[in-house]
Amino acid sequence: MALIEAIGLSKHYGAVKALDQLDLAVEPGIIGLVGANGAGKSTLIKILLGILSPTSGRATVMGMDSVRDTRAIRQIVGYMPEHDCLPPDVSATEFVTHMARISGLPRTAARERTAEVLRHVGLYEERYRQIGGYSTGMKQRVKLAQALVHDPKLLLLDEPTNGLDPTGRDEMLDLIKRTGTSFGITVVVASHLLGEIEQVGTYLVAIDAGKLLRADTISSFTKRTPVLAVEVEEGADRLAQALDQKKLRTRLDGTRILVAINDDTVYDMIRDAVANLDLPLVRMQQERGRLEDLFRDAAPAAEGIQ
Amino acid sequence: MTAPNQPAATSPAGSIYDLGYRHYEGVRHGRLYAMWSLYVESLRGVWGFGRPTTAKAAPFIILGIYSLLAIVQLAFSSVFAQAMARGDTVELLTYANYFATLSPFIVLFCIAQGPEVVCRDQRYSVLPLYLTRALSAVDYAVAKIAAFTTSLFVALMVPMIALFIGDVLMKADAFQAIGDEIPHFLPAIPASFLIALGLAAISLALSSFSPRRAYSAMGLVAYFLILEAVLASVFAIGVESSLEWTSRIKLLGPTSALSGANDWFFGIRPDPKTFGEVLGADAYLGAALLSVLVFTSILLLKYRRVRS
Repeated sequence: MALIEAIGLSKHYGAVKALDQLDLAVEPGIIGLVGANGAGKSTLIKILLGILSPTSGRATVMGMDSVRDTRAIRQIVGYMPEHDCLPPDVSATEFVTHMARISGLPRTAARERTAEVLRHVGLYEERYRQIGGYSTGMKQRVKLAQALVHDPKLLLLDEPTNGLDPTGRDEMLDLIKRTGTSFGITVVVASHLLGEIEQVGTYLVAIDAGKLLRADTISSFTKRTPVLAVEVEEGADRLAQALDQKKLRTRLDGTRILVAINDDTVYDMIRDAVANLDLPLVRMQQERGRLEDLFRDAAPAAEGIQ
Repeated sequence: MTAPNQPAATSPAGSIYDLGYRHYEGVRHGRLYAMWSLYVESLRGVWGFGRPTTAKAAPFIILGIYSLLAIVQLAFSSVFAQAMARGDTVELLTYANYFATLSPFIVLFCIAQGPEVVCRDQRYSVLPLYLTRALSAVDYAVAKIAAFTTSLFVALMVPMIALFIGDVLMKADAFQAIGDEIPHFLPAIPASFLIALGLAAISLALSSFSPRRAYSAMGLVAYFLILEAVLASVFAIGVESSLEWTSRIKLLGPTSALSGANDWFFGIRPDPKTFGEVLGADAYLGAALLSVLVFTSILLLKYRRVRS
């Protein structure tokens, strides 16, 4: 059974289609949910949480329907919203304990779990200070802690690295990775930054304009492509001309030339061409697919990745 | 409340790379427990517990001022007792007239602490965290009203208890005095509860319209103090020019309606000097109950629309 499943899921706000006939089946792991702003990431998360009800279609979490079994789903889901959600005048301990109790944990269990979870997210002595005095990085940790405190099976993180500096970003991503791999919690990370997802994720769901662009493992997005990148220090245009004359499919990309690999003779032909023109060759490398290609323009990316 | 769910397929990973994270296997309570937790937290918030010391100042100072006269009366009970023994008539505060006399201070409590109960959750967007847990918007509103009602009830009962102790101490035979006093004291409990509920419903309903505490407080000042003052002056003009309809106008006042309802519990007629001759206490009781109903509905409707 898929952890998260969507069947013909649509959500319309008047004429605006936030989600349009989305079909999706996600297995446990660290799942990146990628899309531009307004692509429908948050809408999907909110439907899974039962805050929004779908216009048509259905979504399930661990086999439970998002509309019918909302309460059951919420017990096993932790949600970290995109926006600020912390009152400034209480301590992190106080706040997270309170949220644990709202999630149904008895008083002592709530205290224990809070201490444990705050330690996991890396808040130590600061946790007794008021949240108002925290840095953005610390606040993000508290937000993650409140989502983790009731030991969910599924964590929904909406833009968890928002507003963080590069160090804070890496720490947060590391924390997410640790949560997903060592705690045995499935994590869905919504982000518009592909690099982040590449760093932590095992599975990628790309949505665009409410439709599923592609859902697959991260490695399949970045596997080798039948394209050879040739880099020369100078004379790239001359080399491209020479290769064109040999009936190779080429494309000039800055100082690099991308050559389609039809058969093994391509390597020899390039070598000969470079030697004939007496150009300084820097490298020849088989291209890897890049996640960015997904959104840059869908057609060549699909062709390039295969 | 809900059936436990199958463990995630990847959970064994936790035992292989054990970094000390332990899964929680204990009980998980449901919605009522969540409401109770929110109620307790809000109640603590009103009095500033778990908050910085400055947060405790406003509620306790206002409560101190509101209860001051009752405590003074308690402190000087022996003096009053001697005066009464000499046959002097002493004007004492009673359970029935205490709220009517000092209501501005309780209103001040509402203005200072009411917005605190609901505004911060909206201002700092804590609300979505509640609504993605076991609580519904209605549960949230109910817990908040209950918390503020309890706070106000406690505040209203402090001087009542001080009066009770004072009255008992004024009597020669304290044990018999307790028995004598209790029937006079008892109506204060339901009366204070109704006043607390009425004020809480108004305070939270009006506060919920703005996430900014200051704006909410201004709204409450307008409704509680300015409206009441306008009604009082219209009433005064009505008395001078003997207009009949103005004697019903106090029904509209938030505190005057509750004050009239308070008299109903003690079985006395609202003071004609401030309430006019036309209406009895039951009319004010009706007005107070209607106001509870209206403002609670406003609050619930308001939160039905807020869905994160």
